[in-house]
Amino acid sequence: MGRPTILVTGGTGFLGSEIVKALVETNDYKVIALDINPPSLGTKTYPHVTYIRANILQPSELTKMFQETKPTIIVHSAGLVPAGNARYNCTKEERERVLEVNVSGTRNVVEAAKEVGVRGLVYTSSFTVVTDDLEEDFRNVNESAPTGRAGLVYGQSKTAAEELVLSSNTPSFHTVALRPSVIFGPADPTCIPVLHSCIPFTTPFIIGTGTNLADFIYVSNCADAHVLAVRNLLTAGTAAGEAFFISNGEPVAFRDFCVAVWKEFGHVPPVQVRIPKSLAWGLGAVAEWVSWVVGGTTTLSRGSVKDATAVRYVSMQKARRVLGYQPRVGLSEGVKITCEHFKRRYGSRPMASSGEFGC
Amino acid sequence: MIKATELLYYLVHPQELRQIIQWKTWHNPVHERDESKESATLKRCFFFLDMTSRSFSAVIKELHPELLVPVCLFYLVLRGLDTVEDDMTIPLEKKEPILRNFQDILEQDGWTFTENGPNEKDRQLLIEFNVVIEEFKKIKPAYQDIIKDITKRMGNGMADYCKNAEHNINGVNTIKDYELYCHYVAGLVGEGCTRLFVEGNLANPALLKRPELMESMGQLLQQVNIIRDVKEDWDDGRAFWPREIWSKHVDNFEDLFKPEYKQQALNCSSEMIVTALERADDCLYYLAGLKEQSVFNFCAIPQSMAIATLNTCFQNHNLFKKVVKITKGEACELMTESTQNLRMVCDIFRRYSRKIHHKNNPHDPSFLRISVACGKIEQFIESIFPSQPQPRTTEEKKLTAAEEARIKESAEEAKREMMFLMLAVGLTLFLITIVMFIVAWAAGARFDIAWVQLKSQLGSFFGSSSSTADVTKHVEL
Repeated sequence: MGRPTILVTGGTGFLGSEIVKALVETNDYKVIALDINPPSLGTKTYPHVTYIRANILQPSELTKMFQETKPTIIVHSAGLVPAGNARYNCTKEERERVLEVNVSGTRNVVEAAKEVGVRGLVYTSSFTVVTDDLEEDFRNVNESAPTGRAGLVYGQSKTAAEELVLSSNTPSFHTVALRPSVIFGPADPTCIPVLHSCIPFTTPFIIGTGTNLADFIYVSNCADAHVLAVRNLLTAGTAAGEAFFISNGEPVAFRDFCVAVWKEFGHVPPVQVRIPKSLAWGLGAVAEWVSWVVGGTTTLSRGSVKDATAVRYVSMQKARRVLGYQPRVGLSEGVKITCEHFKRRYGSRPMASSGEFGC
Repeated sequence: MIKATELLYYLVHPQELRQIIQWKTWHNPVHERDESKESATLKRCFFFLDMTSRSFSAVIKELHPELLVPVCLFYLVLRGLDTVEDDMTIPLEKKEPILRNFQDILEQDGWTFTENGPNEKDRQLLIEFNVVIEEFKKIKPAYQDIIKDITKRMGNGMADYCKNAEHNINGVNTIKDYELYCHYVAGLVGEGCTRLFVEGNLANPALLKRPELMESMGQLLQQVNIIRDVKEDWDDGRAFWPREIWSKHVDNFEDLFKPEYKQQALNCSSEMIVTALERADDCLYYLAGLKEQSVFNFCAIPQSMAIATLNTCFQNHNLFKKVVKITKGEACELMTESTQNLRMVCDIFRRYSRKIHHKNNPHDPSFLRISVACGKIEQFIESIFPSQPQPRTTEEKKLTAAEEARIKESAEEAKREMMFLMLAVGLTLFLITIVMFIVAWAAGARFDIAWVQLKSQLGSFFGSSSSTADVTKHVEL
């Protein structure tokens, strides 16, 4: 069979498994899913997909697996996302772990791929390479914006890894980096669980204006973009050496996205209280201090206040033009599908305060 | 003649009066028609234009001389067609051939039509339709062909719609039918106008390669009319809101007008409004392709009015009681702003989209969709008029292994410093508070009384009356 072989690292993870699914659905490729974890119980696996277990932090293991499977293109979507409070304040160990997996892991994948003569690599970067600068707003930002100003460890690690991937681009080894905005979808490990944890006590508070736009991407759209990037590297190769912002193309007020998610869980904030950004920032500082003294974690912090009030959305003109990317699942539809999934997971227990002050 | 109520209204709304005066004093038409060179029949055509259209006649009459007459005649032809379609007193078998062959009628010298019902407001136009035909023959053949082509397609579309018995009984069924109807009565007008502009070399020919843009121009205007006129249309026995939308909210269309279904009616109107609002970014894109000022004004004014009308209709239950309108002052303000440049029109769109976003209700089923539509308008405007330069380029930081370690190190350092700083601030504040308390206590402050009073005030604030009474008694003692 002359079908190209595509190997997906992190292939049993949240995004990786969706990429595997999208690749399988094209019927054009032989698909291999590589992951440190086997497919978790209850997730869908595909009979024609080879699942192999390997750790990207073990170069020898990777080289061996690549030699055995001879992939044409590698999609490198394995990575570590510090969630919740760890996004802003992580311990030294957490920080090192993030850098190790995201930067050293990527270096291992790139080197092993080159060694065995893989033709190309699609790297799952992140829009945080530009937007993790919490001091600035990003309106309709495009790929000409500089990277390297990320203030948080995740953005820093992704910047270093993306740089590494794109600088490895040669005529015989094509690389491309996709920078998705905030990914959400069924089984999403961060975005929806964090929002769900705000119910019921944090939901009434609107921090800042409540009109700042944020950018999201539904997981299957993100997977589509990866498939398009793979196809591009195998054919025209016009994307080689390039980075692309990808999103749902539907920037929406951050507050409204939260409310829409809460609403799917049957909770509409009974009252809305506006808190000026500066006051919230101060409260965030106090909360951080208290949690530092008492020990334990806090959802309210200076970082999360900035995240909630930042204007951050990207232009996906380049992805549209070069990759032919077009989101297939709209934001509203994506939120519905996602929350249906989480409702089953969380069970149908009623939310504590829903309708308490109802009209 | 100004009515007393109007006078009173402007007394309490001087801002609006100011807008009206500004428009009337400062607006200079880009072009003015030269009546001295017009034939008697053309003058009669302009008379009909004034008679049949309130909103369009002013903008048409200021158009570039090249297009003034063609667009005026285009309008009158379509108005004639519409007058035949609208008239419920004409039997279908008589109506259908007229609608389907209206493009040929434009070549029949002296054609007139006298069979409109007596209540049809524009029947006089058809009685003297020969003047339109006479002037039509004088315009450039290229313009004639465009107008005939659009007339033919619109006439056939209208005939199909009239013939479809289901529409007459149940109204419009699906959203697709609704948009198809709007396509025939308005989307085609968008196409016709665009082709006239390009033919007259007054617009970017690239507009013809993006047909969805001119379609949206017509769709937005028509959909807004359909939303705004829901009550009036229903009183006349017509309903254009598609069943696919209203059936999600109420069982029978007439329920929308009943006070007990207020919430459902508002939710339904939101869904109609967002369907129209999703076209707004296309319209701005279209306006960006217009070169000539009078053509820009001609297109921009109705669009601005439309988005302002959407805002007025949004979350407004009066929509189901009467025809809601933007005020005259608001209209004049919009006209002043829409006759400048694209940037001003973008500002209008952004202003109204923010007003709509502000009124968006989380309980509304279309909540997120509305929010997304507003976000898209913001993003589109940002893409043509960036409000900030793309982030400044600094010397790029490249993370080598050594630097990675250094970043880690310095971040740790900064964090420790921050913690110490906060601890120090906290401790200082705490110490100062203690010292102040001691000083106040030494000077004779009675914290016990202050505490009781505080409690009583808090108690009364939260309305726990019994304990408040007790506490006050104690204090009085």
